[in-house]
Amino acid sequence: MREIAVKVNGTERRRSIKDNELLLDFLRERLEVRSVKAACWRGECGLCTLLLNGHLVKSCLVLAVEADGGEVKTVEGITEDGELAPVQKAFVSHGAAQCGFCTPAWVLATHELLKANPHPSDAELVEATSGLVCRCGTYNQIREAVAEVAEAKQRHSKETLPRV
Amino acid sequence: MSFGSPYTTLPDFEYHKPANLDEVLGLLKEYGDEAKLMGGGVGLIAFMKERLMSPAHVIDVKEVKELKQVTRSSGKGLRIGAAVTLSELLEGGALKEEYAVLQEAIARVADPMIRRRATLVGNLCEAIPWVDSPPALMALDAAVDIAGPGGERKVPVESFIRGPVDIDLGPSEMVTAVEIPQAKGTDSAFEKFTGGSEFSLASVAVVLSKEGKNRRAKVVYGAVNSTPIRSEEVEAAIRDGLTPGSARKAAEIATEKVECVDDVLATAAYRKHLLRVVTTKVLRRMMSR
Repeated sequence: MREIAVKVNGTERRRSIKDNELLLDFLRERLEVRSVKAACWRGECGLCTLLLNGHLVKSCLVLAVEADGGEVKTVEGITEDGELAPVQKAFVSHGAAQCGFCTPAWVLATHELLKANPHPSDAELVEATSGLVCRCGTYNQIREAVAEVAEAKQRHSKETLPRV
Repeated sequence: MSFGSPYTTLPDFEYHKPANLDEVLGLLKEYGDEAKLMGGGVGLIAFMKERLMSPAHVIDVKEVKELKQVTRSSGKGLRIGAAVTLSELLEGGALKEEYAVLQEAIARVADPMIRRRATLVGNLCEAIPWVDSPPALMALDAAVDIAGPGGERKVPVESFIRGPVDIDLGPSEMVTAVEIPQAKGTDSAFEKFTGGSEFSLASVAVVLSKEGKNRRAKVVYGAVNSTPIRSEEVEAAIRDGLTPGSARKAAEIATEKVECVDDVLATAAYRKHLLRVVTTKVLRRMMSR
């Protein structure tokens, strides 16, 4: 056993872990962050996606010890002052979930995509989320939700253009 | 390989995070075949879950500075360190144009999250038949740099991969980098067919000089046999230049001559058909450039 310290959604958490522990288990079992889902265990479905030091990773393919001294962000970490992020609101209004099991991963991944690329094309959305599976098949609703946020951003940026 | 068993845990091991290459080599010398190196961990963690590997020591090299470098030297080509990830290569721009075949191959490996962890050298050391970068590296005449207790040696990728999950690497040795010779004046491309899954059922990597008769030509097929295989007969068909006629002939020869295997992913007969498809597609695309 060894003790590791990881900043999770802004709060430092310390736990003793075994060297062979997966980051996925560290989050779910040791810290009880259950939005990180365990599903395929082999890096194919992406439902255990989280941000490790600013990058999206599949936590079933990462050792917990690798996160020592680092920073983890899960879907809980994207709300600000208790208010849902734009992409979360859009997922709700478009019904971009059926069973909802994969929703945390999709919300996190599309939130990150929209941060890096405010107006993703369909092809860019498909490529960026090609590591995620929705077993209910709500891809169309997810696409609509992302498009709504992208359009809102466009409107916003047009409205705030400086007058000349 | 079973790939499908429901293991969700890893065997017990001790984790090491050496600070530099000397420390890595020291640990390898100490633990020998009880140790495995981990780059992105994508392959190793999957292998460990399946209990195909149960190392007592895991040595994490992903932040070892000496292994993070991509260097380009005039006359020598490109040297890619063992801890350089696929995303770093795609975004770094070192592969563009001159090494188009490798750029195209790794741009379609798995998904962006996996590419951010997986390394090129890790791809090679896994030696899984359906991985896409080894055929591209073979077509570019790449070689691996190996370090170990007996000093350093350099081995062509072609002989480094001996079989599925079988590489020319001693217990205390490690691959420190992959070296790709200059490919200026060549045109190259990669094509694969996956049938919608993430595993290639047939892939092809082509490198061809742009000018002249009797050109440098290398054609390597992946995912159809236990290792990537080169076809000198297909190369001969395009050595004097690409025309609709030579491309058709090359596709014909590929489907006739390249040996394919039956496995859980596809039959040999289907793979034979796919050889014609991927050869035609890749050569047509090269002609239209």
